Amino acid sequence: MMSKSSAYSITTVVVLIFGVFFVYPVAMTLAVAFQNEAGDFTLAYLLAVFKNPLYVEGLWNSLMMGVCSTAASLLIAFPLALASRRWLFPGKKILILLILAPLMLPPFVGAVGVQQILGVSGSLNSLMINVGMMNASEPVDWLGESRFGGVILMNALHLYPILYINIAATLAHLDPAMEEAAQNLGCSPWRRFQKITLPLCMPGVFAGSAIVFIWSFTELGVPLVFDYTRVASVQVYDGIKDLNQNPMPYALVAMMLVISATVFAVSKVVLGRTGLGTAPRPQTHSGEVALSGWRGWLVSAGFISVFLIASVPHLGVVLLSVTGDWYGSILPESMTMAHYNEALGHPLVVPSIKNSLIYASGSTLIDLILGAAIAWVVVRSRIRGRVFLDAVMMLPLAVPGLVLAFGYMAITQKGEPLHGLVGDTYNPLYLLIAAYAVRRLPYVVRAAVAGLQQSNLTLEEAARSLGATPLRALRRVAVPLIGGHLVAGGILAFAFAVLEVSDSLILAQQAEHYPITKAIYTLLSTLGNGHELASALGVWAMVFLGISITGAVVIVGKKGAGIFRI
Amino acid sequence: MIGRMDAIRVESLVKEYGKVRALDRASVSIAQGELFFLLGASGCGKTTLLRCIAGLETPMSGRVFYEGKDVTQLPTHKREAAMVFQSYALWPHMNVAQNIAFGLEERKVEKDEIASRVEEALERVYLEGYGDRRIDQMSGGQQQRVALARALVVKPKCLLLDEPLSNLDAKLRLEMRSEIRRIVKENDLTGVYVTHDQEEALSMADRLAVLDAGKIIQTGTPQEIYRSPRSAYVAGFMGETNLIEATVDSMVWDGDELDVRVSSLVGQFHGQVTQRNWRPQEGTKVLVSIRPESLIVDHSGIPINRVTGQVASKMYLGRNVRYQIKDAGGYLWNMMETNPHVMRNEGDPVVLTADPSDVMVMKVEEH
Repeated sequence: MMSKSSAYSITTVVVLIFGVFFVYPVAMTLAVAFQNEAGDFTLAYLLAVFKNPLYVEGLWNSLMMGVCSTAASLLIAFPLALASRRWLFPGKKILILLILAPLMLPPFVGAVGVQQILGVSGSLNSLMINVGMMNASEPVDWLGESRFGGVILMNALHLYPILYINIAATLAHLDPAMEEAAQNLGCSPWRRFQKITLPLCMPGVFAGSAIVFIWSFTELGVPLVFDYTRVASVQVYDGIKDLNQNPMPYALVAMMLVISATVFAVSKVVLGRTGLGTAPRPQTHSGEVALSGWRGWLVSAGFISVFLIASVPHLGVVLLSVTGDWYGSILPESMTMAHYNEALGHPLVVPSIKNSLIYASGSTLIDLILGAAIAWVVVRSRIRGRVFLDAVMMLPLAVPGLVLAFGYMAITQKGEPLHGLVGDTYNPLYLLIAAYAVRRLPYVVRAAVAGLQQSNLTLEEAARSLGATPLRALRRVAVPLIGGHLVAGGILAFAFAVLEVSDSLILAQQAEHYPITKAIYTLLSTLGNGHELASALGVWAMVFLGISITGAVVIVGKKGAGIFRI
Repeated sequence: MIGRMDAIRVESLVKEYGKVRALDRASVSIAQGELFFLLGASGCGKTTLLRCIAGLETPMSGRVFYEGKDVTQLPTHKREAAMVFQSYALWPHMNVAQNIAFGLEERKVEKDEIASRVEEALERVYLEGYGDRRIDQMSGGQQQRVALARALVVKPKCLLLDEPLSNLDAKLRLEMRSEIRRIVKENDLTGVYVTHDQEEALSMADRLAVLDAGKIIQTGTPQEIYRSPRSAYVAGFMGETNLIEATVDSMVWDGDELDVRVSSLVGQFHGQVTQRNWRPQEGTKVLVSIRPESLIVDHSGIPINRVTGQVASKMYLGRNVRYQIKDAGGYLWNMMETNPHVMRNEGDPVVLTADPSDVMVMKVEEH
């Protein structure tokens, strides 16, 4: 048990940091959006947003983007989660890890690849023309005229693992006897699913859907790459150019914050009301049915196809990065490693890798320290408000990256007290580190709390009763038990920092400060071989992430998955 | 039970999980209206057997009959056997009344009738007025009774209970024992009850089956099983016993009882064979089992069934006192005296004896 005074001092420090880098910037965004030049409260800007048909359309499209991406993710994730709960099938242990991998593939890089494959002159059409299933003069545009379909596809393929993890976790906590009891009382399998399984896994569906919705509702990278400009996130991004005096983008961002926060709050209320937390824990037998023969392989094939489909876009990226010439053919017509060499020589590339490493390491370090300290207070202290602290630390999940980025811009304008953080050169170093750290903090806190809860205090007390000093008990019992969780949380926070798009795009304004994501985006819009160079950099990023994720999985196995639950 | 047909008959069930054989040719017959217990240590296959009877598991071979009808391939919801789960499995997204009404809704019973039958079921388990409660507002004992009501309300022919009392505290467990027996008997149900608690089985069962490693090793009334266990395993599982090795000297018919005379390192014993279809030969190695409460202190000098030794340790338990008596060969005998007036001290010499009807002679099992 930690002493009250240290619990209070940790809480104070955390609350201060959180206040300055989360509450204050968000409040500033709202202030700009709701204050007129005289400093009085006004709804004029917000109303102006609704009077501008472009903005209304953008918001509507964003909502649709969020709803459709969530629905599509649910369609992929739900059957997978149900299957992994219900059946044993060949290769299950590996497959249920493999289908989580797409979460780590940067979706806006994948978007480049998907155009190469599903575009008018992409691989799929070439293949179909070759085998005679399509008329070469009337190729189909699979991604749709407006690219909306492409955006949804990339979002869903990227985000379904979050829903899968949430639903699977809820199902895992479900006592198999709950379903058996229904069956035993006369329920057919389909009715049992409707009346028992579905309502009981709603907490997971809600929790996961809330995260996926907020994530995709404010997604910036994917629509940018698809050139799908009529969504609020892109309009906000484009509005930055004349930002200084224009409150309209702020009003639009405030609107997005309101919607995200509402969705988050509703999901919390619904979750709170179900009262499923006290349900009995499952008994010894798992309720899993071993599928024999072709049935088992069929389920395995389902899992494999989801993974393959989700990685096709990134396969496209890999191909593009080694392509000499690829237009209107199934596969590139010639291969070359030249883009990798060329990319390394490009003035944007090497500095961006270095920048990303610095930003991501800095934010991860902060997350680890804060996360461990917060978890310690939440789990091991008895101070008042520790539950509140836990809840507050989850708030960044409700706040889109765009909102935070705008807030950071607002608080570091010339003349604002925090202008010193960026200086006159507008170096985004501290801001990006803070943005990455704040936005990924919830995951690290969850990981640390989960780890600490698992390491029961009595385990340490047992060590102390056997003669270990408190510090030795900590080192020999607690750290081995929670260390894995913390490392997994840290690696994921690092990976997400490297992949972060909206804060990176908005806050890094000069080329020498660009992180990888902004460098990729900039390369994409360069003429000539920009796509190939961007792909090469994207492949570097993916390889890099692949290594860190594999590391995380090796260290903690499946346990790390728990951190995506809110 | 003569004249009533078997409500449930299980023939030679086999079930394997991977390499583990959970059920090994298990057969059992349960009469209509009987409260039948499946008893065994954890992992013996008793729950698997119950789940096969319920239709929640499909055996790899063997058959299950309900009233003579083969139901082996019938899914659980088409059998008229309601189950009470160890974890209760009450659905947290429904209140108490909704939980109980579930089975009736599935049977398309009319709304008015559902309401009155739910009320009736609540009354029967002494939970009138609790229908609107959420499940997490009920205590463990109340949840237990809701689970019971939910199974009873559909008027099943059989009630299957999987360790229903294992999550309750000791006092409540005692109360619920007679409760469950009353409910089964009042409703003329056939009950199959799984437990690892031999006291529960002895006090509640009409008949019981003891399982070990997927096999049914003995079936009988509580008294038969306790007094005439057919193997050392059953003797040990159904309470304590003293086991010693001996060799058969002779066999004498005493009326219709076969009196088996054996000699051991301790001395001579006269006892009875409990295993049907087995007659030891002279010179056969056997096991002799005598329960602690069958041993009495006796200094009259009768030479049979006599154990001489010294008190090695004692444990005072109030209504009785337990002693360990160390005989000349160093073997420790457990014995107890009820309502003790005199306390024996460590080192006191004692002579013990047991009635031949309390001495069981059993086959030496090879494990």
